[in-house]
Amino acid sequence: MMKLSAQRPTGNDYLFEIAIFLATSAQGCLNEPPLYGPFRLLDALSRLADFPEYATGLNSDTFLKEIKAIVDEKKFLVMYDVDGFKKAIDGIVEKFAKEAKKRYLTK
Amino acid sequence: MDIFEAIKGRRSVRQYKPDSVPDELIERILDAARWAPSAGNIQPWKFIVIKDKNRLELVRKVSPGYLGEAPLAILVCSDKEREHKIGGAMGRDYLSVADCSMAVENMVLTAYALGLGTCIVKSFSHIAVKEILEIPEGIEPELLVVTGYPAHKPAPPTRIPFREMFYLNKYGEKFRSSVE
Repeated sequence: MMKLSAQRPTGNDYLFEIAIFLATSAQGCLNEPPLYGPFRLLDALSRLADFPEYATGLNSDTFLKEIKAIVDEKKFLVMYDVDGFKKAIDGIVEKFAKEAKKRYLTK
Repeated sequence: MDIFEAIKGRRSVRQYKPDSVPDELIERILDAARWAPSAGNIQPWKFIVIKDKNRLELVRKVSPGYLGEAPLAILVCSDKEREHKIGGAMGRDYLSVADCSMAVENMVLTAYALGLGTCIVKSFSHIAVKEILEIPEGIEPELLVVTGYPAHKPAPPTRIPFREMFYLNKYGEKFRSSVE
């Protein structure tokens, strides 16, 4: 996230950034290639993982950071390897399912 | 730099160094843009060089396709009124877009020859960009050329094989070539 001033962005600044990204992405998705929809959602996921760095009361989430790294590495597959892009999304969702089980079903 | 070297070497760059782009390089990119061909020599384009960090950041925020934190973007707009007046409906609806695209190609090749990276972005909110950059009615944003010093060199993307793209004399007739 670039800063508009010398001050560090607040949680509200970051929230606004994600919100405006989602709004403009929604507008774009009306006419853009269909695969840009999942691409934007992945990009939003990557941005969301940074939210704890700016917001108070949230802790950095190691799992989400790991997912962010995967997303940032794989998201551009949409430009030249659609099958690879789809497989990457499947892999990310699988990781989420395993993590959800670990977080909520182990007790 | 040889023109073919620039054509084959240019990539869409999405990671940039923070270093700003000197004005003399920006001017060379703009000069290359204005020498692009245009239908009927209408030259329907207007260019907005966005260097101010605050305004650039706002443009980035409303442009989901603007990836990476490049220190410069050049918005290429078409003057729809001028295009319509001279080129009619075809000019306004089709040729203006083609003309701006040809200007953009000159820009990105020139930038590459100057050691800069670029990414051509269409995924931006036209409504929001017009508001932020105070663009009047009749002037339509077409393409955003994100520009800066590349932080990495992307690998070349695949190309559809030559034989599937080029024909000789009529559609479907093989154009024989040594190029794959």
